Amino acid sequence: MNGYAHPEYLVETDWVAQHLNDPKVRLVESDEDYLLYETGHIPGAAKVDWFTTLQDPIKRDFLNKEAFEGLCSQLGISRDTTVVFYGDKNNWFACYAFWLFEYFGHPNRKIMNGGRFKWEKEGRPLVKDVPSYPSATYRATEPDMTIRVFRDQVMQQIQAGLPLVDVRSPQEYTGELIHMPNYPQEGAQRGGHIPGAVNIPWSKAVNESDSTFKTPEALRELYEPKGVTPDREIIAYCRIGERSSHTWFVLKYLLGYPHVKNYDGSWTEWGNLVNAPIEKTVQQEKGVPA
Amino acid sequence: MSDFDRQAQLEFILDHYQNPRNHGEMADADVHLEGGLPGCSDLVTMYLKFEGDRVAEVSFVGEGCTISQAAASAMTEQIKGMSAEEIADLDFEFVSDLLGEEIVQTRPRCATLSLETLKAAIQEHRKNQIRGKI
Repeated sequence: MNGYAHPEYLVETDWVAQHLNDPKVRLVESDEDYLLYETGHIPGAAKVDWFTTLQDPIKRDFLNKEAFEGLCSQLGISRDTTVVFYGDKNNWFACYAFWLFEYFGHPNRKIMNGGRFKWEKEGRPLVKDVPSYPSATYRATEPDMTIRVFRDQVMQQIQAGLPLVDVRSPQEYTGELIHMPNYPQEGAQRGGHIPGAVNIPWSKAVNESDSTFKTPEALRELYEPKGVTPDREIIAYCRIGERSSHTWFVLKYLLGYPHVKNYDGSWTEWGNLVNAPIEKTVQQEKGVPA
Repeated sequence: MSDFDRQAQLEFILDHYQNPRNHGEMADADVHLEGGLPGCSDLVTMYLKFEGDRVAEVSFVGEGCTISQAAASAMTEQIKGMSAEEIADLDFEFVSDLLGEEIVQTRPRCATLSLETLKAAIQEHRKNQIRGKI
């Protein structure tokens, strides 16, 4: 972890293994796969689910402050608990949950480097026992709007010529993927990307062999040549805000960029917005809706 | 749903995920089709062999989340012997009944991926039949 701007927000699997019984540490698994936790998880880990736990059940939004307080209380998390997030898919939703805990002002948050993949690869134990913790009383702070943007701010970002990072795959960025044969429409009416956005897929920030984050030097080489530099205000987006949480974490905590925001509306909002500008770099077939 | 029912449903899904039925490619299939959800990288390819208008054999291969793969496995056990028309009529309720409504609601698109792929494969088979007749 040497050389990262804020290494205190990242822990290795060894550290987690040494803190499994630490009452001040709560492990939280946050996966894309809804039932992966049930197949086995790190001993003592609690589960959150991005869709059923972390989002409002009615409107498209995160859970509100009161519901967040209820969630933390239920998981036995108090303000001084160190919450360590890990999950599948290179920690996409672990970063998403980390982001939400920051949004509501939880002070001590960490990501387990390499996520579930590395833990399993190292042959470390997984158990099916679901732990229960004594309820805590949790008081969150008001949402931190310095790390979140809505569509109007994205429009202002375009007009100001400030950087937007589209962290989706190149095929999603160009607009090709959304109308591949037999593939669903992925919740958006249109394919392409937000005008001016540069495409730096989230996956470029991790080592394929063990899902850990790349070195600071490699990360700087990834972002800086494309104009994503620490002196600028950056907005990251993807499809629903999970992959961009990953990039947000990389930029803010591993590289130390002071002004990085996540557009959680992402493509499933922008690609459906009437009259929103879109850039598309694949040829659209005549008569085929994108 | 009681805790007991939910646990039984969970075990049913996890069993299909960890011990998939009718899993593997089918070299002599009448039709096969791949479907996928690029956002969460769930992929399923369905293989079908017909006797007349009815499904004689079905198999699948795929990769992805617990629910998408368990749904494919569980579905293959249900559709053997069904006619193309009967399969075309299957809907969300069929998947909910199979896997449990509560769990299906958490990831509806993963849960219905194999059914949608299956229905697309049936359409493809019908088109192939029409082309063959012309």
